[in-house]
Formats: sequence, structure tokens, C-alpha cells
Amino acid sequence: MLLQILVSGFVLGCVYGLIALGYSLIYKSSGLMNFVQGDVLTLGAFLGYTFYSLLGLPYWVALILTVLTAFVFGLLMEKFVIRKLLSKSVLAIYIVLATIAIQYILQNAIQAIWSTKMLNYPQIFPVPSVSVAGVMVQSESIFCIVMSFVCMAGLQFFMKYTRFGTAMRAAAMDAKAAQACGINTSLSTGVSWGIAAGMAALAGILLGPIYGVFIMLGSTIGRKGFAGAIMGGYGNMYGAIVGGILLGLVETLVAGYLSSTYKDMIAYALLLLFLFVKPTGIFNERAITE
Amino acid sequence: MEKNKKLPTAKIALGILLLALPFIFTAVGFQYGVLVCCFGFLYIIAVSGLDIDFGYCGQISMGHAAFFAIGAYGSVMMHQYFHIPILLTMILATILAAAVGAVIAYPASKLVFHFLSLATIAFGEIIYSLLLNSPGGVTGNAVGLFTDPINLFGISLSSNEGFYYFGLVCTVIFLTAKWLMVNSKVGRAWVAIRENSHAAGGMGINVTKYKVMAFSVSAFYTGFAGAMYAHLVRYIGPDTFTQKQSVMFVTMMLFGGTGSIFGPIVGAMLVFSITEGLRMFEQYQMLIYGALLLVVIVALPGGVYGEAKKLVVRLMQKRNGGEGNAA
Repeated sequence: MLLQILVSGFVLGCVYGLIALGYSLIYKSSGLMNFVQGDVLTLGAFLGYTFYSLLGLPYWVALILTVLTAFVFGLLMEKFVIRKLLSKSVLAIYIVLATIAIQYILQNAIQAIWSTKMLNYPQIFPVPSVSVAGVMVQSESIFCIVMSFVCMAGLQFFMKYTRFGTAMRAAAMDAKAAQACGINTSLSTGVSWGIAAGMAALAGILLGPIYGVFIMLGSTIGRKGFAGAIMGGYGNMYGAIVGGILLGLVETLVAGYLSSTYKDMIAYALLLLFLFVKPTGIFNERAITE
Repeated sequence: MEKNKKLPTAKIALGILLLALPFIFTAVGFQYGVLVCCFGFLYIIAVSGLDIDFGYCGQISMGHAAFFAIGAYGSVMMHQYFHIPILLTMILATILAAAVGAVIAYPASKLVFHFLSLATIAFGEIIYSLLLNSPGGVTGNAVGLFTDPINLFGISLSSNEGFYYFGLVCTVIFLTAKWLMVNSKVGRAWVAIRENSHAAGGMGINVTKYKVMAFSVSAFYTGFAGAMYAHLVRYIGPDTFTQKQSVMFVTMMLFGGTGSIFGPIVGAMLVFSITEGLRMFEQYQMLIYGALLLVVIVALPGGVYGEAKKLVVRLMQKRNGGEGNAA
């Protein structure tokens, strides 16, 4: 029982982690908040379903295509909406609201393109479940956890050891100085929005086979993902992962042992608690203060 | 000078028009218009309250549906379980909303924009899930609660016309109170905090106190609007008080224009009329909302009223050869 709860908590936590990582990335690179993440997760789940189940592509191809599509979506959103608003130097809150507007449009577009019905993925792996320490665990769950960690490690490698990653970190630290060094800060911000969207879509395609695919799949996860990001320390990469996984575990443990009615409330209560008592989070990220 | 002379006539004409509006609607056979105005009034009050918080004090709230809910559920539940007369329950529930607002605003006052919006969203979600899973089912959970119309000293306001006049009086009272507040020392302190909270603190303004005050007052307005809503519709369910409702308040506010008396009026009436007019496309309601919000943000950053005012000022300046400062 406990092990099963821990596994499903870990799966959920990894998804929160991926979402929160996107939030932190965007906050680090542009100081903004993005409410579209959750619905990009939904988009990813639907795209993955379409590529894999309807078009009959191999799973790996479907996964890569989905992430690439979401990446382009994030890039375009930054180019055509966020950058436009930034160049008009409007209040930051208007940009946050613009992402909420895009969230609504995306949600409704997904509903119009696909259906309001819940869709189920066909089986991905030949073995439906594997035995881990005497407990049967869905193969997709293990795949989700493994892929999340691969993605997080990949991002860490990209940010730390590649030229472009270094440029992105420089642009996040001081945009003007980076520009003076010849770094294309506009491109690096766009790419960070793209990566965030790509990670959300990855979370979607990983979560789809476990939870099923439906319109509201991502919006709650997206909102709760903020709790993970805040708990770890908003803007901190490690914090996002740790906070996300912690949130997933706490939520599933509460639902499993106490009551599932207040499962949603836990995430928001934790969010408020951290914001009010320790806004810098577990990793003591200073980015949050003015 | 000319402006001052002209204003009273305009005001009287507007007053007569507002008083006669239900009769006009009845005469042209558009009964539905009265109900639209009833909703318009309560949205005007709610959005004016939000404008005090955001337009004057510069504090965003993306969770005002929570105060709308406290006003609505508070009034209905007090009436149902303690049999307190409805007008009194409305006032008590409104005070409760303001008190809750103050309690949440105190720790939230040190948060900046993004994180304040997150905190208010989280607060809204907590209230929403409390409505849905209340202890002992006192809120009727997903089923909701039915209630009675407002009883004004023996006169039941069960007709839309009756509610229209009640709403009109309330709107005038709340807008006058807002006008008095923003033109007082308190209002000037709010604007100072909005413009630069550090400088305001340096000038001896107690920033935390005024931020809490603005938030609490705005919760008061929205709470009262919620109570009005409950007794106008006579049914409340949790679906009315979701995150979408909070975003709708913000949309109305930005659509009309912030930091003014008329902006919220224009925004509330326009956005509500648009959503009502597009009822047949209910499936695409969120799409329309999103598009509306995006258009306002990208094209009309001052809102409809704000941009119109700018345009008038520019025209006046042109006519007066640049010396006019009619703003």
C-alpha cells in the first residue's frame, strides 16, 4: 500500500517538477510568470495521442514531435505576444494576464479540435506492469519517472556545459551586460519559453497513458505546479524539482491516508504557507524579493 | 467654468433616465433588459471594489471570487440557519468578507505583483474547495443552496423591477463612497503606494496599513455584490465562484479602465452585455473571453474609458490650440 502510494506520488511529483521547472526557467530568464504551462501539458497529451494512436507513429517519434511542436508554440508565444507587450513597457501584471488569456484560448481551441470526451491511450509497452519489491507498478509510471529525470539532467547539462546554455544564464543574470557581450538576449528568452513549453508537453505525453487524456487534465496541475515552484524557491532549478516531487508525495499521502476530499486544498494551503512564512522556499532563492 | 454649469443638467437627465429605464424597457417589450441591468449593478459594485485595490492601490487580486462567495454564501447561510432578515444578513456577510480580506491581506501585503496574484489565486481555490466539500455539507456542496428574495421592511423585491431600484440605490451609495474615499487622505495614500511604495513609506505613509485597508475595502465591495447576486438569482452553487469569475472581474476592470469611477461602470456593463449577447456561442465563451482580454491588453492598455478620455483630451487640446488642460 505505502509503496504504491509512494510510486504514484512520485509520478505526480515528477510532473509537477517538470511544470515547476518551466516556471523557474521563465522567471529566471525574463522575470515573468506563465499561466499557459498547464494547458500546454493538455496540448501535449492530445498531440501525443494524435501522433501515436491516430496516425500510428512509433511512440518515440510521437514523443519527439509533440515536444518539438510545443517548443515552437512556446517560442512563437514569446515572439508574438510577450515580446510585443514587453516592448510597449506595460505593467508586468498585464503580461501575466495575457498568458491567462492565451490559456483560455488554448483550452477552448483544444476542446474545439479534439473532443470533450476522455480519450484513452492504447498500451505503449508490451509488458503492462512490472513487479518492484513485490508490488505491481504500471510500466508507464516507471517510464514517466525515468523520462522526467532524463529531461531534468539534460536541461542541467544544457544550461551548464553548452555555449547557448551559458549565454542563456548570462542573459538571465544581467540582460544589458549580456547584450554588450554579443549575446542575443531576445533569442535566449524565446528559447527558454520554448523549453518550458516543451517540458510541459513532455509531462502531458507521459501523464496521458496513466491518467487518460481530457480537457481539464493540465489546468489544475498547472496551477498546483506553482505550489511546487514556490516550495522549492521560485526561480531555483533544483528547488523546482524537489518542491514538485515533495508536493506530489504530500498530496498522494494525504489522499491515501487522510481524506481525498481535501487533496486539492493541500497544494494551495502549502503555497500560501510558504509565501507567507518562507517566500524564499527550501532552497532560499532570493529571486522572489524585490 | 463652462463644465461646472453644464454638469448638473447632465446629471439630472442621467438620473431621470436611470429611474425611467425599467419603464422604457417594458414599453419597448425588452423585459430582459431590466435583468441585465440588475446584474450590471452588482458587477459594477464588485468591479469598483476591485478597482480600489488595483486601480488606486496597485495591488492585484486574482481571487476576488472568494469574497464574492463569502458575501453570497454568508448571507444565504445566515438567513437559512439563523433566520436573520435578509438585508441584515447581506450587511453581516459583507463585513465578514471585509474581515477575511483584512486577515489575508496582512501577510500578503509584503508580496509583490506575481506572487500576490499567486497568493490570491490560491486563496480563491481554497475557498472554492471549501464550498465544494464543506464540513457537514452546510454549503450544500455541489448541489448549492436555494434562497429567498430580498425583503425590504416588509416589501419583497421578488420582481426584477424591484431589484433594479434596490440595485440602483446600492450602486449610487457604493460609488459615492468610493468617490469620497479616493478623494480623501486615504485615497491619496493609496495612489502614492501604487506609484512608488518605497517613496510612500519614506514620506511617512504606513504602507502595510493602507494596503490592508485597500484590500479589505475591495473585499467589502465584492462581498456585497456577492450577497446581491445570491438574492437576485436566489440560487448559489460552487460553479459561480471559480477562478474564471475572478478573471472575469479583472477583465471587466481592465476593459473599462482602471483608477477611475466610470471605468469599472463601462467595463462591467460592456463585458457583461457582450457575454450575454454571445450566449448562443456558450461553447466558445472562454475563447471569446480570452480574445477580449488579449485585445484589451495589447491594443487598449488604458481600457475603453481610459482611451476615450485620452482621445477627448487630445481633441480638446487641438481645438483650444494646445492651451486646454481639460483633463
